[in-house]
Amino acid sequence: MKRDLISLNDLSLETIQGYLELAARVESMPAEERRRLLAGRILAVLFYEPSTRTRLSFESAMFRLGGNVLGFSETGSTSVAKGESLADTIRTVEQYADIIVIRHPKEGTARLSAASCSIPVINAGDGTNQHPSQTLLDLYTIRKLFGRIQGLRIAFVGDLKYSRTVHSLLQALGKFGNATFRFVSPESLRMPSYLRDGLAGSGCTFTETVDLGSALAECDLVYMTRIQKERFPDILEYEKVKNAYCIDARLLRGVPERLRIMHPLPRVNEIAPDVDPTVHAAYFPQVGYGVTMRQAILLDLLGVKQ
Amino acid sequence: MSTDKNSNPVLHIPKIEEGFVFDHIPAGLGPRVLELLRSYPELAEAVVTVGLNYRSGKLGSKDMLKIEVTDLPESLIRLISLVGPGITIKKISGFEVVRKLGLELPDAIDNLARCRNPNCVTNTERHVAARFERSGKAASYRCLFCERVFDLKELELLLP
Ligand SMILES: [Zn+2]
Repeated sequence: MKRDLISLNDLSLETIQGYLELAARVESMPAEERRRLLAGRILAVLFYEPSTRTRLSFESAMFRLGGNVLGFSETGSTSVAKGESLADTIRTVEQYADIIVIRHPKEGTARLSAASCSIPVINAGDGTNQHPSQTLLDLYTIRKLFGRIQGLRIAFVGDLKYSRTVHSLLQALGKFGNATFRFVSPESLRMPSYLRDGLAGSGCTFTETVDLGSALAECDLVYMTRIQKERFPDILEYEKVKNAYCIDARLLRGVPERLRIMHPLPRVNEIAPDVDPTVHAAYFPQVGYGVTMRQAILLDLLGVKQ
Repeated sequence: MSTDKNSNPVLHIPKIEEGFVFDHIPAGLGPRVLELLRSYPELAEAVVTVGLNYRSGKLGSKDMLKIEVTDLPESLIRLISLVGPGITIKKISGFEVVRKLGLELPDAIDNLARCRNPNCVTNTERHVAARFERSGKAASYRCLFCERVFDLKELELLLP
């Protein structure tokens, strides 16, 4: 039976750990050997809304495994624009490719796509719902940075109310347990209560604050997010908070050497460029680990065993 | 059944010879059950009696409904099971109860309700039936597509 990657909610802790192990094996493999693994296979990249970074990451992963890529990155010139149903598009593409990665503005599209075909489907974002490969690459990055996932003090900073990336990573870290979280946000963008309540029984604890400085001093990892202007009905409220959750080199003076900073990118001004050369910056390595994790996902779903 | 003789529904609603009695409907939801019955064309001519706000030991108060037909559509029973927990259906034949069925909240709701998320693929693509599964909490259901969790009361039932 074929397998898909649709939602973190479908993955047990064991499955997640399996992906982390596989990514580590992929990373240690010689490039020559890796390029043979998916030779002759085709990945269909169906992006119904643009996300250049995610698309390039999947395409790079496929090319590094020796495979080929076809697809679209916007729907303007496709049959979708002529009113074709999603199921029909998927059943058509199934004839062209061995595996599909889909991004779509509507929630549930990846699940529907997976049910419409017999080749594996990867969800690269369905509306505000899920983007599981992002969460897996975040977990892999954490393991690379610290050698472990449990027992860390992790601060989430910025828009904790709407960030899908943060919500999904928090839930995944909850499955591992034994973490200490610090939620740093303006009052209006606090972590939703269902997620805070969801940590009950996970062995994780959390505190909430509006103060970024204390989080930098006391945590091992800071996961930054962008605060989007559209989230604020009152522009004055936005102006007040937008600079309160920015990190620059000056703010990092005196923080412990161990502190690492992650960000799903693209950043706007929440991390100043003068942070990039510091030992704390982990967001570009994070991009690289993303390509590694996506190779692991492609290999796993295509049943190519290492 | 209530033990309080003054509120014994049987005294208020006449016995029926053939048909079905919907009992232990949480008070206030009787009209909802009636609405579901009325949405079936094949039941449009049937004699229906509705009683509201009977005192009931178990529920505090309850609604009750009788319909004089020989058969009920299977999908109607599934819809009524979504109105609320604990409703019982008794089949009456020759003034006697010949069968009794207690309705429980189902573990899954398949093609009987619309997802409340307007951005859910079940609402944006044609011919995609919404499916829900019982989520941890008492009467909440998770959409299998958009993964949102809704209280049963929030779901809009699909009537025939
Ligand atoms: Zn839905």
